[in-house]
Amino acid sequence: MTYQPQSDFGTPAATSDAQITLTIDGRTVTVPAGTSVMRAAAEQGTSIPKLCATDSLSAFGSCRLCLVEIDGRRGTPASCTTPVEPGMVVHTQTPRLQKLRKGVMELYISDHPLDCLTCGANGDCELQDQAGAVGLRDVRYQPVETHLGQAKDQSNPYFDFDPSKCIVCSRCVRACDEVQGTLALTVQGRGFGSKISAGIASDNFLGSECVSCGACVQACPTATLIEKKVVEIGTPERAVVTTCAYCGVGCTFRAEMRGEQLVRMVPWKEGKANRGHSCVKGRFAWGYAQHQERILKPMIRRSIQDPWQEVSWDDALAYAASELKRISATYGKQALGGITSSRCTNEETFLVQKLVRAGFGNNNVDTCARVCHSPTGYGLKTTFGTSAGTQDFDSVEDSDVILVIGANPTDGHPVFASRMKRRLRKGAKLIVIDPRRTDLVRSPHIEAQHHLALQPGTNVAVLTAMAHTIVTEGLVNEAFVKERCDWDEYQDWASFVSEDRNSPEALEPVTKVPAADLRAAARLYATGGNGAIYYGLGVTEHSQGSSTVMAIANLAMATGNIGRRGVGVNPLRGQNNVQGACDMGSFPHELAGYRHISDAATRALFEREWGVQLESEPGLRIPNMLDAATDGVFKAIYIQGEDILQSDPNTHHVAAGLEAMECVIVHDLFLNETANYAHIFLPGSTFLEKNGTFTNAERRIQPVRKVMTPLNGYEDWEVTQKLAQALGLDWNYAHPSEIMDEIARLTPSFAGVSFDRLDQEGSLQWPVNESAPDGSPIMHVDGFVRGKGKFVVTDYVPTDERTGPRYPLLLTTGRILSQYNVGAQTRRTDNVVWHEEDLLEIHPVDAENRGIKSGDWVRLASRAGETTLRATVTERVAPGVVYTTFHHPLTQANVVTTDYSDWATNCPEYKVTAVQISPSNGPTEWQESYAKLQNNARRIAKAEAAE
Amino acid sequence: MTSTTDNLVRMANQIAANLQHEPDVPKAVAEHIRLFWDPRMRQLILAPDVSGVSPDVASALDQLRDAS
Amino acid sequence: MKVRISDDALALACGADDVAAAFEAAGADVERTSSWGMHWLEPLVEIDGIGYGPVAVEDVASLVSGQGASVSIGVIADHPFIARQQRLTFARAGKTRPLNLADYEATGGWAGLRQARQLGAEAVIEALIDSGLRGRGGAGFPAGIKWRTVAHAQADQKYIVCNADEGDSGTFADRMVMEGDPFQLIEGMAIAGFAVGATKGYVYIRSEYPHAIQKMQAAVRACAHIVAPFDVEIRVGAGAYVCGEETSLLNSLEGKRGEVRAKPPLPALEGLFGKPTVVNNVLTLATVPWIMAHGAQAYADYGMGRSRGTMPIQIAGNVRFGGLFETAFGITLGELVTDIGGGAASGRPVRAVQVGGPLGAYHPPSQFDTPFDYESFAEIDGLIGHGGLVVFDDSVDMAKQARFAMEFCAAESCGKCTPCRLGSTRGLETLDHIVAGDNVAQNLALVEDLCDTMKFGSLCALGGFTPYPVLSAIKHFSEDFGER
Repeated sequence: MTYQPQSDFGTPAATSDAQITLTIDGRTVTVPAGTSVMRAAAEQGTSIPKLCATDSLSAFGSCRLCLVEIDGRRGTPASCTTPVEPGMVVHTQTPRLQKLRKGVMELYISDHPLDCLTCGANGDCELQDQAGAVGLRDVRYQPVETHLGQAKDQSNPYFDFDPSKCIVCSRCVRACDEVQGTLALTVQGRGFGSKISAGIASDNFLGSECVSCGACVQACPTATLIEKKVVEIGTPERAVVTTCAYCGVGCTFRAEMRGEQLVRMVPWKEGKANRGHSCVKGRFAWGYAQHQERILKPMIRRSIQDPWQEVSWDDALAYAASELKRISATYGKQALGGITSSRCTNEETFLVQKLVRAGFGNNNVDTCARVCHSPTGYGLKTTFGTSAGTQDFDSVEDSDVILVIGANPTDGHPVFASRMKRRLRKGAKLIVIDPRRTDLVRSPHIEAQHHLALQPGTNVAVLTAMAHTIVTEGLVNEAFVKERCDWDEYQDWASFVSEDRNSPEALEPVTKVPAADLRAAARLYATGGNGAIYYGLGVTEHSQGSSTVMAIANLAMATGNIGRRGVGVNPLRGQNNVQGACDMGSFPHELAGYRHISDAATRALFEREWGVQLESEPGLRIPNMLDAATDGVFKAIYIQGEDILQSDPNTHHVAAGLEAMECVIVHDLFLNETANYAHIFLPGSTFLEKNGTFTNAERRIQPVRKVMTPLNGYEDWEVTQKLAQALGLDWNYAHPSEIMDEIARLTPSFAGVSFDRLDQEGSLQWPVNESAPDGSPIMHVDGFVRGKGKFVVTDYVPTDERTGPRYPLLLTTGRILSQYNVGAQTRRTDNVVWHEEDLLEIHPVDAENRGIKSGDWVRLASRAGETTLRATVTERVAPGVVYTTFHHPLTQANVVTTDYSDWATNCPEYKVTAVQISPSNGPTEWQESYAKLQNNARRIAKAEAAE
Repeated sequence: MTSTTDNLVRMANQIAANLQHEPDVPKAVAEHIRLFWDPRMRQLILAPDVSGVSPDVASALDQLRDAS
Repeated sequence: MKVRISDDALALACGADDVAAAFEAAGADVERTSSWGMHWLEPLVEIDGIGYGPVAVEDVASLVSGQGASVSIGVIADHPFIARQQRLTFARAGKTRPLNLADYEATGGWAGLRQARQLGAEAVIEALIDSGLRGRGGAGFPAGIKWRTVAHAQADQKYIVCNADEGDSGTFADRMVMEGDPFQLIEGMAIAGFAVGATKGYVYIRSEYPHAIQKMQAAVRACAHIVAPFDVEIRVGAGAYVCGEETSLLNSLEGKRGEVRAKPPLPALEGLFGKPTVVNNVLTLATVPWIMAHGAQAYADYGMGRSRGTMPIQIAGNVRFGGLFETAFGITLGELVTDIGGGAASGRPVRAVQVGGPLGAYHPPSQFDTPFDYESFAEIDGLIGHGGLVVFDDSVDMAKQARFAMEFCAAESCGKCTPCRLGSTRGLETLDHIVAGDNVAQNLALVEDLCDTMKFGSLCALGGFTPYPVLSAIKHFSEDFGER
């Protein structure tokens, strides 16, 4: 079977309502106004020869192959740059056109290597295809100057650049400009000497600003930019559409396979979340599935001082079951708990919480959303009635003012950031609220109107000051508020924000934001047209995280920016399925669909389906589980796909808690930090090896499709099922679709979801039920889910974490593009070439005062602990603020983060830690002893050796 | 008082500090604890030797005691 | 003694500064004026209305003492070269000090702008349409229609862009306007801005015109208060002929690579920074004040057919009397080359004349009866372009000229479209084979096919018009392409 690429209509689709009818080659076709002749022909089934046109990029008009003849017009216009007109009569194939196309192709081939048979693009090359299509038989030129034999640039770990095959169609440059928005590529020189370059002439791809998103590789019609895997393996033979397992954008890809070997991941053009784009992680960093450190056999040990013993699945599960039963019998059923994964599928997460609730008999289940977006759940449920964002990603195309607070989308949600930047380049205005000068503040063709570089920990003060401006300057959308919100609650809130003490001027000493800037930003949001707010962990991971979310909701309601395209409140969910994990009832106080466990009717529904009685009191959250463990009453935990020792705050506290437990079951791909304290290790499966669904930040449920047999033997849901069966539960799911069917029966917002429907539609955004049978792109269109929108007064309560003479700086944390979270996956791919270590960003003034230069080892110390890492001196942070990432375990960044957390959800206050920086000689004692512990805890005694 | 209880006292005080806008602060605090704290945590903070709670929290704890 | 000497770049190249200094040293009161545009006479010195040229430093003493008869040309305005012209755009050439506002006002300066403001925007555009003024950069598109399109476009910002990237070999009219009558250009732009609703104008001047750049910058500062609220900025190119193509110019102005943009969209609707933009040549804009001051009909009364008004023709190359000859459309090519230009400077017979710049056709004397107008030249597979004509005598090797056309295209190609990027190099190589006598017949056929591809396939006129010089050379001078 030959390789079938995705279809390509040549130029982007037009969006007009007006329809135009024209005749192409004797047949009529009707298309929206603004469509190119090329695309109209393609939609009719006629492919006009083309090389520089591709439907993800605006028409360029450079190859000159697509010429057509149009009655009544002189010459031979290019069909890609000619818009259709009513009554136009087009001829796509005439003797004159044939001759011209051959002439153009003859020129191309006079300057191209003729090694098709051994070229990596053989079978997937548009130049090959077009040479055939135009019927070129003869190249009459005797070329003197050519581009053959130019050196390849193989610096990027994932793709090669071979300029000798380049036809200067500029698709790569245009993809980097229009789709990705990094503008890293250009054409160097002019005329015959034109050469694609990743920067100035001496740059190679790796050394340039290229972020390795792969858009240029996807756009390139020849072998000039090609995946190394294709060169190594060959052309793929089939493709399976699946969803990425990295971030909350949820890009869909075609996993292009040869047998069970994955050749490459190509973004799926019909993916509604990513619209054919990707980032370096989803596109290229999937090699971790085959990494040598991947554990494929179950392992157990009595004590964490012992080496691991490889055992059979049956033995491992039997041991796990017996331990859990023992502990339940000895300490009571409240001594057990589970943590669901935000990377595993909805079906898998549903089974883990079901195991805890129906199997362990309690509600001690929690998920990593605890430490990231739990305030979103609380805040938006309280104000709007739904624990999720209100829009889809497409909505940004209609935004006029974009406010980004506590988020760094170009690093954390790059594919969505590219969509946002596209809209900004078209003229939308940008407000960034962040202590740090993120890339979004100022980068090629993008500049924020306002960057409010606030003091870490003062989000609520800033938002209240903005509200003060909007209310006191008469910029409230009163019609909206009166119709859609509780007017009394609004008036309470309005008089609160109007108080003098909440003015930008009064709060300036606290926020460090100049009042004039803050007022201008508030006015822009309120009056600039459609205002959309996007936020991330810089909002939630604070002691007032939930309050900040509600403050954001207040602003959106007060200005009427809810319920249509282009507006809304958009939490940028971090992980591929953190939204799903929350939806599935992973929180200790909620069943699936965010219904409180105390609600008898909901409980009855589940009890009937599961055939057990359910505990009606809320269970333990992760930090409380650890407290209970150190108190000696919490003894066993089943952790699927989470590394709480690396990702949760206050590492000492986590370690102490884990150490105090008697049975720690880790179900994961690699021996992670948490596994250092585990007694049972169950090997997990990757997203390539299972069927299921992920739900992204848009509430979009998307299929995950198995493309290879699980190397560890079982899909993760099968493992959980086997554990349940070992505990005596009568579970018999034959396929994850059955689990989704159960979820649909039990959860009103999922009522219309099934694997069949997902196969048909590609994806569905919940709620999917009778009132929204095809899903819900935009929420709260006619009314809020809770009825009237609720204004909540959010007074600024400063965090208890204060700077002082011993700890005079404030540390905030974040993430970087090439590494993902704790780096479990990305550190085991070639992405390490970009970010080998976490670095501490420190302002020149603070660095100089301490005698620190870039590259120096520094000691980062807080009241909680200390660690060592290398510094980089930069002005991206303000004086008094330092910043680092947490992707590498040996950095032990969370040793210094505190116990402080959000008042409503206990989401840790990662973003505000009082620290001191000083020069250092090397790793701290803790780091050294930890490294020893890590080595010790990872010894594996192979099963065969026992013989 | 164990450090876990210290922690719970701190959490409860923080909840109260953030619910000051509610018309009945102790009631709101009590409701929050009822909805989100597991029974053991509630037990610990309702223990007689617990100290350091703010007046609003003390009121809330009284309400929880009466309800149970 | 009052002495007037030009400070135009061509005059400077001929030594005008030294001559001026010598006169000053001799106690004369020297005024630096624009150039009369009579190149064989520079440095041209005017004393009491009588012209003397070319004047060397050695001649100064005798001129000061009143003995300049040998280099006298009489009253300059009566000289046949000047008297035969209809100078509308170049009315002030040689007569005023370029940066002197009083001189400008005294010679009718700002009358056009005043009249335009009185008439109102719509009437201004109607007048421009009625005048028949077509773009003088080369495309010949009716200026009034272009202005009307921009005027009717809805946008929060519009622009006037003056294309002063005069890159055609043998042309200098734009340079003479910028150096000699800069206020007139600015006045024309201000009228355009008023008519279409643009508050901002840019003049994009090629980097190779440093004197024009300086003069224009000074002029903009000097008259800012008069043309306000219209604001003009001078921008400098960076050595690319292709940036004379309007969309490439706009890209360059925006700080991007000077690459040609596909049309549609037209710059009139989506031009500079995506806003509706009038892009006009220097001559087009510099003619507008005259039209406003004297009326559309007065302008349209000059000319023939659809070519109304006057054309500032630039006579250059191997010619006796080169310079700026502004006249109504209709004069024949032969009159220009032989009667006015005086034939080849070498004295040898004229063999070919290239009209319209390096991408124009080569015309043999058999075509000298062609009237100088847009349509007449199109009929003989030629073009008048920006109005430059370059004279060659019979020592010219037309095969080498054809090769030069390809070489020029290759050197200046922006590289975006295949026919020009690759075709110009392949064309050059193939003509080399022809010149070397290899497979001449086959290679000539290949060149003709290539010209077809370039003419109909190229994205812009650089690749699209390169076939003109090549094919006209092959057609009219085939003897130079035979087997050697």
